Amino acid sequence: MKIQLGILLIFFAAIGFAQFGPQTPFSDRFGQNSMNLPPEFYSLEWNGGMQLKAKPTDLSIEIDSMGAQEINVLVDLKDRPVLYTSDISTPVCADGDCRLMDIRLYWTLLGEYAGFDRYPNSPLTKHDHDEFLSADYRKLHQLLMDDNSILKRRKIDELVKKPEQPEMEGVDAVAGATIKEVKESVVGGALYSCYTAWHLVHGPIKDAIQKRTLSLVDNDMVLRMLGSNNTDYQMFALKRMTEEQYAANYLRIAQIFEDGVPLIRTFIVKNLPDRFWNSERLQIPFWDNFSEVDINSRSLLLDNLKNSPVSVLENLSQELSVMTKNQLNLYLMHLAELKQIKPSILTNIEIFANSPSETYAYLATDFLKDYKL
Amino acid sequence: MKSILLILCFYLISLGLYGQDLLIEAESFDSPGGWVIDPQFVQQMGSPYLMAHGMGNPVKNATTVVNFPETSTYHIWVRTMNWVPGEWEAPGRFQLKVGDTDFEKVLGKRSGWGWEYVGATEISTKFEKVELIDLTGFNGRCDAIYFSAKNEEPPSSPKKLASWRMTIAQEPNAPKQHQAYDLVVVGGGIAGCAASIAAAEQGLKVALIHDRPMLGGNASAEIRVHTLGIYGHFERILKKLDTEHYPNGSAEAKLDQKKRDDNVKSYENIDLYLNWRAYDAVAENNTIQYVDARHTSSGERKRFEAPYFVDSTGDGWVGFWAGADFSYGRESVDTYGEEWEEWGELWSPNEEDNAVMGSSVLWGSKVMDTEQKFPEVPWAMPVAKAYEEVNGEWQWEFSRNDLNQIDDAEEIRDHMLRAIYGSFSNAKEHPENATRRLEWVSYLVGKRESRRLVGDHIFTFNDAKAGTKFPDAVVQETREVDVHYQTVLEDEKNPDFISEALFYKTPRYYIPYRSLYSKNIDNLFMAGRNFSTSHVGLGGPRVMRTTGQMGAAVGLAASLCKKYDVNPRQVYTGYLKEYLDLIESQKYIKIPKSKQ
Ligand SMILES: Cc1cc2nc3c(=O)[nH]c(=O)nc-3n(C[C@H](O)[C@H](O)[C@H](O)COP(=O)(O)OP(=O)(O)OC[C@H]3O[C@@H](n4cnc5c(N)ncnc54)[C@H](O)[C@@H]3O)c2cc1C
Repeated sequence: MKIQLGILLIFFAAIGFAQFGPQTPFSDRFGQNSMNLPPEFYSLEWNGGMQLKAKPTDLSIEIDSMGAQEINVLVDLKDRPVLYTSDISTPVCADGDCRLMDIRLYWTLLGEYAGFDRYPNSPLTKHDHDEFLSADYRKLHQLLMDDNSILKRRKIDELVKKPEQPEMEGVDAVAGATIKEVKESVVGGALYSCYTAWHLVHGPIKDAIQKRTLSLVDNDMVLRMLGSNNTDYQMFALKRMTEEQYAANYLRIAQIFEDGVPLIRTFIVKNLPDRFWNSERLQIPFWDNFSEVDINSRSLLLDNLKNSPVSVLENLSQELSVMTKNQLNLYLMHLAELKQIKPSILTNIEIFANSPSETYAYLATDFLKDYKL
Repeated sequence: MKSILLILCFYLISLGLYGQDLLIEAESFDSPGGWVIDPQFVQQMGSPYLMAHGMGNPVKNATTVVNFPETSTYHIWVRTMNWVPGEWEAPGRFQLKVGDTDFEKVLGKRSGWGWEYVGATEISTKFEKVELIDLTGFNGRCDAIYFSAKNEEPPSSPKKLASWRMTIAQEPNAPKQHQAYDLVVVGGGIAGCAASIAAAEQGLKVALIHDRPMLGGNASAEIRVHTLGIYGHFERILKKLDTEHYPNGSAEAKLDQKKRDDNVKSYENIDLYLNWRAYDAVAENNTIQYVDARHTSSGERKRFEAPYFVDSTGDGWVGFWAGADFSYGRESVDTYGEEWEEWGELWSPNEEDNAVMGSSVLWGSKVMDTEQKFPEVPWAMPVAKAYEEVNGEWQWEFSRNDLNQIDDAEEIRDHMLRAIYGSFSNAKEHPENATRRLEWVSYLVGKRESRRLVGDHIFTFNDAKAGTKFPDAVVQETREVDVHYQTVLEDEKNPDFISEALFYKTPRYYIPYRSLYSKNIDNLFMAGRNFSTSHVGLGGPRVMRTTGQMGAAVGLAASLCKKYDVNPRQVYTGYLKEYLDLIESQKYIKIPKSKQ
């Protein structure tokens, strides 16, 4: 434990222990250099039974007047890196009044924010020295998860301007990023702590960690990332996989397509190797999610209609209700170009055309009229 | 009486019927009352239309007097659309009154633009008053009213409708009136205004064709975006056009509106065609011969001929009609190497796609002295969901990959209206908003990105990053490159009408003249957000002082084109020094000859 922390502990012991709600004792989570429970505030999934051990790295964060603070890598029992962490002690200064903030930070293998732990004996405090409440910690966690926070592009003194002062330099986007927006995203009365923490988490260390990971990356790591629920991991893996790996892992990829955020889904449909669109077996699992996924992903799927098997066209004829106007038009135009349309498909279109609650029934009616001509 | 001239009729002699048919264009009504003329979607749905944009308060009747050549029984149809079909009452309902007859039929209920049958009536006097009665204040729309002796619905499909309209109007698409200029500028945003002024100051006779009653495009009091960016060499001209730094959506936009309109109107050799919308441009041998335009309410047509044209429509319309190369959507990251690792796909995708920055509808509300009611808006809720807000800034932005920012602009605008009314309705649930009232909701789509015409140089993110000092640099900027994405991409729980911006800090960067004229149409300049750029490249210079610089730069180039009888490219190849000197001279306030 660092000397500064020791001093602080004594200081806090003297003023009394912070009041905490029920929580896992810090030492259980990360005692004796090993960790078997997730950080208290954590944004990734934690596999039950996982045990992590801290190992030193040559990475560090330089903090004003405190020097270099080391970054450890947390590895699993097979010695594979899982997280990065650092016990941070940093001054937080407002109006010339400085206090120390102690916090244990965690990063993903890609240098993204992963979570934090508070020190039981050194709670975070606000400008007026009040301690953070549970809700404040949660808010801090939310803020740190936002990698494009309004805090990113502004200097601290720009964030505390009086409302009557005109907005600073305008930009299409930031013109609207008023003090109100800052207020909404930071812990009330703790702007400086929030600002300091955000910039530590999202500072140069991010790139340094990523660089380290890139030097270690192997197939196993890629596949572990593919197995993760974390969007950045999934994207990292998908961008590095070979065509063979795509094919071998098609069910997992289809699963991500189903569960993932729209950004990942759209990446997947756009980047599936051609062989997917030439194989019924490989593409069906993606089409199967047509009605479940977001509109953008659906549009991208429909871009592949020309390579889809009849069974897909047939299934889609039962999903006309979820299509937007342009999607429906696209689908019908595709059918119109076919030499022959399966009778069951036409029946489904007819049912849709006759349904009074369908907004775009008229498109189906027009299609049927033209088709019969 | 204006309407008498506009009433269009034809005889159905060929069918052996004796009767007369009349098509009344709603935008040509004598008095629109509280309805607004909406010409934004002519290229998609066929015509300007009247819209009851009352923000929830039914608007005053629109009225006109129709001259019936024949007293007889007429069947009546109205061309309209239910803009939010679904399991609720249509939001934009209205009724028709002809003479003393109030038709019971409630209109505005069909999906997609088309005709609704109103009923039949006996017309016994030659002149009858026709009225549109708004029932909701929520954007009911009426394109045209058709009176016919025959009970036969006019065609709905856009193609058939267009030729039907022309037959019934006995009107050729080609205008009879021709007008010749040195330079024709289409689109009166800041870019188009600056181009007109710069050219006019060099003695060119300029036509500025603009489809709105006021100038400024996104910076106008109708859309209310403030102008950003630097002045470059054109401070004097741009100060005549730009805005103060009020918040986007602010009513203060009105002050700068007057300044801008007065300034442009003060130029004798600018013929300003307000409320004229261009609808065609024809090129022969890669040279545009003319642009055709139509008045947005009277329907009058004019042909504008000139040796040079500026496309400052934002949507690259002139280039599109003339066959200019253009791009739309995001290039793949490798096309120009525009990667920003930190933001990956959100910044520039592995594979190209048709995503673009979205369009906005700005709005605001106001606290009043007394309690203010706001109607229930069930039809808005599927879009707004639980989102609540009392005004809208730039982040109110919508784009989706099945929607094209030009072809589907009406749907995009309507989606935003639902987002606004729904979010405001949610906010009104709170007692503290009891006295709030919607003060202003634009009905114009403020666009950021659509077609980008291709020039000899395509400006990219790398040009901005490197601050490349092109030999033909005519525009400069220091503003960061910022690209937007819809936050729903990151989390499906987010509303689909809110965006986020990613900023990349660059050094001062320059735009070359070669990005301001078309690669394959020899006499076409472009200025504004439809200049020659990549998707990410547009992220910086799309703001309106920068687009204004582009306008001023092409206005000056046009003067050299005229002086030497050359095309825009030849100004670069043959007269660059003179051109740059001319631009440089703009920096200094001109001293009138008499005082030299
Ligand atoms: C919500 C929002 C916020 C933004 N924030 C900022 C900001 O803070 N500062 C800033 O500087 N920029 C901002 N931008 C970007 C900027 O407003 C746009 O890039 C702008 O379009 C650039 O101006 P322009 O002259 O190229 O086009 P526009 O302003 O779109 O002008 C083109 C004009 O041409 C007219 N027109 C189109 N077709 C025709 C036709 N066929 N015939 C006749 N007339 C036609 C249109 O009605 C329009 O008025 C914002 C944009 C939006 C939507």
